[in-house]
Amino acid sequence: MIRQIISATWKDLKILFTDVGGVAALFLMPLMFIVVMSAATQGMYETDTSDQPRLLPVVALDRGPLGAEVIAQLDALDGIEVESQWDDDALTREQAEALVSEGDRAAVLVIPADFSAQIEARLDNPEAAASLELISDPASSTQFIAPIEAMVYSVAERVAESALAPERIAAALSSAFAGVPGADQLSLADISFDAEATSVVTLSRVAPAAMDVEAFPDSYQQNVPGYTVFGVFFIVSAISSSILREKHDGTFRRLLAAPLPKPALLAGKLLPYYLVNLIQVAVMFAVGALFFGMELGDPAALVVISMALAAAATGLGVLVATFGKTEAQIDGLATLLTLSMSALGGCLIPSFVMPEFMQSLARFVPHYWAMQGFQDVLVRGYGVAGILPEAGALIGFAAAFFLVGVWRFRFD
Amino acid sequence: MSKNAVEAHLLEKRYGEVEALRAISFAIRQGEVFGFLGPNGAGKTTTISLLSCLQEPTSGSAVVAGYDVVDAPGQVKKRIGLVPQELALYPTLSARDNLHFFGSIYGLRGRELRMRVDESLELVGLAERARAAVKTFSGGMKRRLNIAAGLLHRPEVLFLDEPTVGVDPQSRNAIFEHIEQLKAGGMTIIYTTHYMEEAERLCDRVAIIDEGRIVALDPPCQLIGDLAEGIIHLGIANGAADGLLEKVRSLKQVRAAEQLDGRIRVEAVHTKEALIRLLELFNETNTNVTGLEVLEPNLETVFLRLTGKRLRD
Repeated sequence: MIRQIISATWKDLKILFTDVGGVAALFLMPLMFIVVMSAATQGMYETDTSDQPRLLPVVALDRGPLGAEVIAQLDALDGIEVESQWDDDALTREQAEALVSEGDRAAVLVIPADFSAQIEARLDNPEAAASLELISDPASSTQFIAPIEAMVYSVAERVAESALAPERIAAALSSAFAGVPGADQLSLADISFDAEATSVVTLSRVAPAAMDVEAFPDSYQQNVPGYTVFGVFFIVSAISSSILREKHDGTFRRLLAAPLPKPALLAGKLLPYYLVNLIQVAVMFAVGALFFGMELGDPAALVVISMALAAAATGLGVLVATFGKTEAQIDGLATLLTLSMSALGGCLIPSFVMPEFMQSLARFVPHYWAMQGFQDVLVRGYGVAGILPEAGALIGFAAAFFLVGVWRFRFD
Repeated sequence: MSKNAVEAHLLEKRYGEVEALRAISFAIRQGEVFGFLGPNGAGKTTTISLLSCLQEPTSGSAVVAGYDVVDAPGQVKKRIGLVPQELALYPTLSARDNLHFFGSIYGLRGRELRMRVDESLELVGLAERARAAVKTFSGGMKRRLNIAAGLLHRPEVLFLDEPTVGVDPQSRNAIFEHIEQLKAGGMTIIYTTHYMEEAERLCDRVAIIDEGRIVALDPPCQLIGDLAEGIIHLGIANGAADGLLEKVRSLKQVRAAEQLDGRIRVEAVHTKEALIRLLELFNETNTNVTGLEVLEPNLETVFLRLTGKRLRD
């Protein structure tokens, strides 16, 4: 039986690779997306093109008044909506880290307890600086985080400067008037401040404690896995069309009359596409690593996620094959599913920029779990143990697709 | 073991309310070329599907190559070859790759597989085009390769389901020659067709099948001898004169006659004599003949007599 499965696999690989257009769709299209989209979005991180206010939870620990002022000014901005409460209580750092770890928020601002005190200390100590922390998922796109970072920083600096200004003006005035008769005739131009050589506020970007890697993704780390997952699911159309063709052409009928068990027939039909999926992932990641210098992380973990992903895509191919009577129907259905699931699953745009209900929906598509799994490995540096939940979810999708597909499957 | 290659007993197949096969029984001897003759939808392909274990009968039983089709489908499948009605080939693969694949599915390997592939290509006259993609073949060449793919494992029983559909006369003759070669080699061949000339030429015995029933089963010559008359259709657009039909029936060369819409259908004992007498009669009665069709005695007319239908209806 194994030899028969191998023969069937070899046959379908030959058929697949004689179809130049089909191979181009499976390999070149996702590659083209990776290159073009990565290049196109690389320089965009400084530009906020979103019309939607970004939700920014704030952990307000400051014992002085300036932290509250920062929050008020941030909230007044058009692009940001501050969340300083969670379930009617002040947000804690642990809650904030969990929000980021679980992908519910892209970033959280932490205003430390000594924020006001450090700013005030600046008057006496020019080295004093107040530090803010922006907790964010290292896998979040820079394009999304950078505008938030810039807004927080500029607001905090403004608040700090405003707080220090009266003291500095008073000091400057007393210095200017000291021992000068007719001081009321002085022009403002004669009053000078000490220029600030360094910023009063520092803003550091950190990962949640549970995510111990301080690596930030570049556009390739978002786009290589994104378009790889997108491209892997192109196989759905290829599998379902091939199954339909075998039915129409009578080759299934001929094979069913041979001493070949039905499970072997189906395995021989699916194995070549499963292998093609693995080759796709290998090619895309090799291009990412060789040409764009992408760090690959733990190879074993990548293999586990890739195998689980290929199983889910192959299973979906069987399922889609049972829903169409013509190749045109199947192509349409496969394209619809591939595009919408890819978009929902965060392949085309990161899922955390989507509204909350869309983020919840994303968990119902395998693409989301594949993206999470790949980014766990590539960006967060997880090993096999760390990606088992994502791999498990993908295997679950594969099993569900396959079982429903086989249940609905008619060989003739 | 039985001398019969195939034995079917009260074989029945229903699809919901539709009775595709209605309790048919027959036996096919080893080395025989056995034809199922009938129009589309008569039950030929269903019979083959049951005998080749593609479907299970609703009731009844069948033994093929010594094994029951329901109890031991694996054993049956090893011993049969199926050439489906469709061109069951992979068009983008070469003829050799197609045969190599189908041979490997039957467990053939290495040198033996290569030898059988070469043999089969030679038999159907495609050795020179072995490396060409099947999609570049003519309809006749594809049909021949379709047959070759069913022969690789040297089956005891070969099912040929309408193997000549859509081929030119030259390719059809080539296919007939291949089948005659296989028959000479002692293979049992079950052949379905709705072309009576194929059944007459190739088959030792023919089962005429209609609406899921076998309505006659005998060697073609016997069927024709026992059942066939020539059939003459005479167009009479203006209708028959009073008493004309009685006069036609009274002719000794006429077995039976009936008036259909705009024509008279005559079953003749001696076709040529009957035709002469009929034309004389029509002349005498001033009946205007607007059309004339003469069907010589053959399986077609046997079928028409048995079922009231033409094979190609």
